[in-house]
Amino acid sequence: MAENIVLTEAVYYILLSLKEPVHGYGIMQNVAQLTNNRVNLAAGTLYGALTALLEKGWISALPEADQSRRKEYQITDSGQAAVQKELERLRELLRNGEGIYGDD
Amino acid sequence: MTKTIFRYFFDFVEGQEQWLNEMAGKGYRLKNCGVCWYTFEQCQPGDFSYSVAFVADKSYREAKTYRQFLEQSGFRVLTKNINLNLSFGKLRWRPFAKGWGQLATLPGGYNKELFLVEKKHDGTPFVLHSDLAGQLLTVRAIRNASLWATLCLLGLFAMTFLPVLRAGVASSPWTFAGRLIAGGLGVIFALFAVRYTRLITELEEESKTLE
Repeated sequence: MAENIVLTEAVYYILLSLKEPVHGYGIMQNVAQLTNNRVNLAAGTLYGALTALLEKGWISALPEADQSRRKEYQITDSGQAAVQKELERLRELLRNGEGIYGDD
Repeated sequence: MTKTIFRYFFDFVEGQEQWLNEMAGKGYRLKNCGVCWYTFEQCQPGDFSYSVAFVADKSYREAKTYRQFLEQSGFRVLTKNINLNLSFGKLRWRPFAKGWGQLATLPGGYNKELFLVEKKHDGTPFVLHSDLAGQLLTVRAIRNASLWATLCLLGLFAMTFLPVLRAGVASSPWTFAGRLIAGGLGVIFALFAVRYTRLITELEEESKTLE
């Protein structure tokens, strides 16, 4: 994995939503709820991100019971590692920002 | 009560989307559509909103998976053509596909260059891409397709002069008509290519500081 990676907001929240298996629509609802409707993932954005994450191997699609069921996704180990790295980066961002502008 | 309207949009993404939303605002919900017509049924004004997705650059399978995903997310999806029927025997020309995909020999994705996506209105504006990167991808795909269409039409335009150059015979009225159509359409798509190139520049500028 590359040393300096920055996740997009969409990818970050998608990964947070996939600790348990969830389908696409569930991710949108989950993200809206987590952010008090600040982040509303558009369907095309979500689809693009899911496709890219599947290719990267950060999430996996659960085998479908039958065609009519909604496809469910879940985070993989490498996906969890990416989230951990991102959390570290975000802590640093916050620490530096608050250190400099925090008292204003 | 249903209402049928005959119409074709050269401005197939934005123009079409705006029109469908205006119709829905007046209480007409899109029921069905064909090559150059739309059928509407009456609904409560503003009950539905529409977004047009450009999928001509996707393979048949990619488009199918995307459609399934949208439907499973609760949207209604209709497919719509951009191409008018340009065919020669079993060979069909799809100016909007990528490379050799332009010559279609199977129905597959032909005449399904667009998805008309319908959402039950929930108070938020309906967009398919909420991120800059996604918007850029879409706009680039449309620009490239318009450029291809322009090039191909220019090629056709030039070819109409071949008989004149080789045999020195005057062009028939049919040749004139074909030349006019190819030239006219070429100009239309060139204008779209310019417009979308501007949009790309704007979005790229924005993406330098924003996600």
